[in-house]
This record gives sequence, C-alpha cells and structure tokens, in this order.
Amino acid sequence: MFSTIYIEEQVADHLRTREICARFPQATQVQCQRYGEVFNPKSQNFRLQKRKPALILAHKHDRRILETPAGYGIGGRNNYYFSHMLNCLYDCRYCFLQGMYRSAHYVLYVNYEDFGTDIDALLDQADNKPCWFFSGYDCDSLVLEPVSACMQHFLPFFAARPAAHIEIRTKSTQVRSLLQQTAIPNAVVAFSFTPAEIHASLEHKVPNIERRLEAMQKLQQAGWQLGLRFDPLIYRDDYRQQYARLFQQVFSQLDTERLHSVSLGPFRLPRTYFRNIVRLYPDEPLFAGSFAESGGMVSYPEELEHEMTGFCTRELLKHVPEAVLFPCRLAA
Amino acid sequence: MINIVVALPAEARPLLDHFRLRDKQHNTAFPIYRNTDMALIVSGPGKVAAAAATALLAGTGTPHARAAWLNIGIAGHAHHAIGSGYIAHRITDSATGKSWYPPQIHELSTPTENLYTVDRPEDNYPAAALYEMEASGFFPVACRFSSSELVQCFKVISDNRTQGTTAVTAKLCVQLIAERLADIERLINTLSGMADEYATWHAPHPDLEQLSARWRFSVSQQHQLAELARRWKVLTADQPLWLEQLEKTRSARAVLHCLEQHLETLSTSSPSTCSVPSI
Repeated sequence: MFSTIYIEEQVADHLRTREICARFPQATQVQCQRYGEVFNPKSQNFRLQKRKPALILAHKHDRRILETPAGYGIGGRNNYYFSHMLNCLYDCRYCFLQGMYRSAHYVLYVNYEDFGTDIDALLDQADNKPCWFFSGYDCDSLVLEPVSACMQHFLPFFAARPAAHIEIRTKSTQVRSLLQQTAIPNAVVAFSFTPAEIHASLEHKVPNIERRLEAMQKLQQAGWQLGLRFDPLIYRDDYRQQYARLFQQVFSQLDTERLHSVSLGPFRLPRTYFRNIVRLYPDEPLFAGSFAESGGMVSYPEELEHEMTGFCTRELLKHVPEAVLFPCRLAA
Repeated sequence: MINIVVALPAEARPLLDHFRLRDKQHNTAFPIYRNTDMALIVSGPGKVAAAAATALLAGTGTPHARAAWLNIGIAGHAHHAIGSGYIAHRITDSATGKSWYPPQIHELSTPTENLYTVDRPEDNYPAAALYEMEASGFFPVACRFSSSELVQCFKVISDNRTQGTTAVTAKLCVQLIAERLADIERLINTLSGMADEYATWHAPHPDLEQLSARWRFSVSQQHQLAELARRWKVLTADQPLWLEQLEKTRSARAVLHCLEQHLETLSTSSPSTCSVPSI
C-alpha cells in the first residue's frame, strides 16, 4: 500500500508510528524534521503524486479543532471540524483537496490524544451544551481506518461524552471497526453519494453505490445512526433522472425512518482551488463547462444551482421528512 | 525530454556512448551533449557548479518546460557495496542542514537512500547515507524548471569504509556507471514517460498558435483565448478551433466573443463523459 513512509522526528518513537510502520515492513522509512518539508514545497504536482502517494506520520501542533463555516451543520448550534489526516485515498475529480494541497501524500497526525484534549476544552467552554464535531473534512474518516485506528480511538472517547456529537463522513466500506463496537447515540456515520454515472466517471477508487449501501445496512442493523450526504450536486443534462434514480435506490434499501439526517450541497470551490484544479486537470470535462464566480467562489451559474438544489430537495422530500433534511447554505 | 547533469567527464562517457549523445556545444561554460530527446551537461565537481550547469542547461535547451531531470554520479557510503546503485529519497546539504525530498512515485525496484551533499570528499561516512558533492546544488535548481516528481538523483557507490576515496579513478568511475546503465535507462524511461504524459495533459489546442498569430490579442485576451481553447479541446474532442465565422472577424475581442458563443451552444450530453452545463 505504501512504499515510502515519511516520519517526523517528533513522532518517531510514538507508539502509533511504530504500530503503523510495523504494518508496512517493506516500506522505506524517511525521517524528516517537520512534515511541511515534504508536504508543502512549491514544486510538486498533485496529479503526478496521486499515482503513488506516500504516507507521512506527523504531529499536529495547533489548530486541531476548527469552527465550521457558517451554514455548515446538521441542526446543531456549536459546530466544529477536525482532521486527523490530510488527503484521501480516493481520487474524486471534484474534490477541493486537489486544489488546496500541493502534495497528494497522506499526512496522518498520530497525536489523537491532543485532539481529545482540545475537544474537552471546547465542551467545557460550551458548558456541556451539545457540540458537533465533524470528521472527514480534509480526508475520508474511515478509508484508512485499518491503518490509523482513528475511530477505534475516538468512538469510546465520544461515548463517554454525551454532549459531544461526532459525524464520521465517508465513502468507504471500511466499517469493521464500527461493527466491532457498540453503537453510540452521539455518533452519525454519514455516507456521501453521487449518481452511478457520475461515480463511474469522477469518483475514482470509490466503492460502488451497492457496496456502500451494504455497509450502511450492516451499520443500521447494528444500531448506528446514519446520515446521507448528496454533496456536491454535479450537473449533467439528465441530472434529474440520475438523481431521482439514485434517491430511489438509496432509500429503498435503508430504513428511512431511522435516518439521522440527509444533506445536500451544490458544487462549489474557492476560486484559487478551482484554478489550481483546472491547471492540474485541463483535460477534465467537468471543468470545461460554464461556471460562475461570485464572492471568491466558483459554482454553477446561480439559476442552474437553484434549479438543481430545488429539484433534489423536492425529490428527497418524497422519501424523508423535512425535519431531517439539511440543505447546505454556505455564504457565497 | 530528459536533462542529465553529471559532474565528471568520466561519469559522462558511458552515458554519451550508450545514448549516442553528440553535438557538443563548445560555446557554453559547460560541455553539453544532445540527442533528439536527451541533453547532458558536465558540470564539474561541487554543488555550486552543479547548480550553475543545471540552470544553464535549462536556459539553453529547447523549450521543454516539463522535462524530466536526472543527476547521475558516484557517491560514497559506509558499507554499501561498490557498484550498487541508489536513488536519493532525501537530499541534505551538509553545510546548511537543509533537506529536500524527491517524491518517489515510480515503480522501479532500484533501492533508495538518504544522501548528504558535502563540500569536500567524505572519508568517514558518519551517517548511514550516500555522500557526494552535487545533489543539493542540482535538485532545488532543477525544481525551478520542472515538478519535483520529475527530478531525481541516481548515485553509484564508488567508495566505502573498505575501499576509500583514494581508490576512485576515472577508469573506475567509467566502469561503475557503465555497469549500472540498465538501471539508469529504466529510470530515464520512467521519468521521460511521466514527463511526456505531463506535457500531453497540458498540450494546447493545435489551432491556438494560428489564431494568436492572425489577430492581435492583449496579454489578458491571450489568457482568455487559451482558456477558451482548453474548453473547446475538451468539449469537442480536438475539433478544429477555426470556425467559418472567424474568417469575417476583425478584432481579437470579436474572436473571443465568437468562440464563447460557440462554446455555449455546444451540446454537452456525452454518455461516456461527465457532461457540463452550457448556459
């Protein structure tokens, strides 16, 4: 899986570092002072590196838990996100990570305990009022779970803190570690979907819809709360049929009454990320259409975006009550 | 296209013969040899010379902005066997302590190793690493001209604790490089393949040059034209950019408008690709 593992000096003797390295005895281990030396240099090409990304084991020093952008949430008031990892094993062409980072290497922060300390501090600050913590913003929460054991660490942590809610966002079918634990009421496992045609052309290496639904069924049977994320909405001429088919397929296989939340969000990227991605993939049809730019964000033209969001909202309301539907309303 | 930087004529000789590099340029500060898809420069020893030669080769070469770069040479190591070859996965300048990490995205079985660039030949080999004198001059400069995935260093062990630097002769150097030519060729093919692919992704529409020559585009308009041509290339699968309507068009602005209009009317419903909105 990894033929090169870069290791920050500070975490060279960390137990997790030793455990992870032991899983890849053939990998070349390269020491670095700070992971930024490997991850941040200018002269790198994300697209080339995506062929064979390396793993970087690092220590996250600060800014471990961040506030979510306004409008991002599933009903809670205090919303935060955290990333135990940067970059994703999947290769979705619409993903903002391609435009945000110069490197496609996977950075895994091994000091999970420090993330926990910061979460506790925020809970104290909120007087133990409910707080939401979204994982899987700069990575997929579960796809590297067999290696990182991140959720294996965090789920007992959240189980002991009922005021803290966690969203585990994923496209992965790596749910074994969840199934081995008792479901906790303050965790939501949220799966992202796009229609099959878009999955086939844009979501490289992502398990197909059927396999993800199978994983969701297992989790639902085990008592886990589930979420559905239709984000980003991707345009095609026949998007109405494609999304209607997708919703039909998804909701026919899940117990919709037990769904925690459903959200949808339009395709949007900060202008600089969008430009970086187009530079990386000038030959990608997704980026050859007309886009509108407003307030530093690139999106489909407003009229089309409203039309798509409206259509998908109406379709979703045929399957789920309005109370669990959360359209993403990010400020433009 | 690949650019090769070596320090010594003895390191260059087997490469010149094997890759039939000729046409030595005499009017430059460093000897340069070329064939159709490769250039080699002999820098002389030391990181400053390597940096200067790398910059010169980039400046005098044909405009292959996305060329691969390879530094080939000999190096010492405490215990690695004489004649064994290594790709550098970390390059550290001993004088400054600064390190660079050439991304290892190839599938080659050639082992990789830490490398220290030193200012004088190192006979004690204090760390478990390669010791040589050019890589920290070569790498950061080559990365100014190409992406770091396409910039690599390959070193052949010439000395170790059993057989020190005093035993390194020009004849031995020729022999050591010659014996690793198969590894070098594999590395060159891999890097060249990636560089070619990289160039293909960014190849402009073939008609772009013709359009640019026919009308006078401002710098800003040239960027707009390039972007329209990129979209055109993707949406039409390389159909000619030269439209009949353009023949009657007088200004660059009108050309851009015409192309924009045409892009908007393009049907984008292709079942095999992700279609895009045309508003």
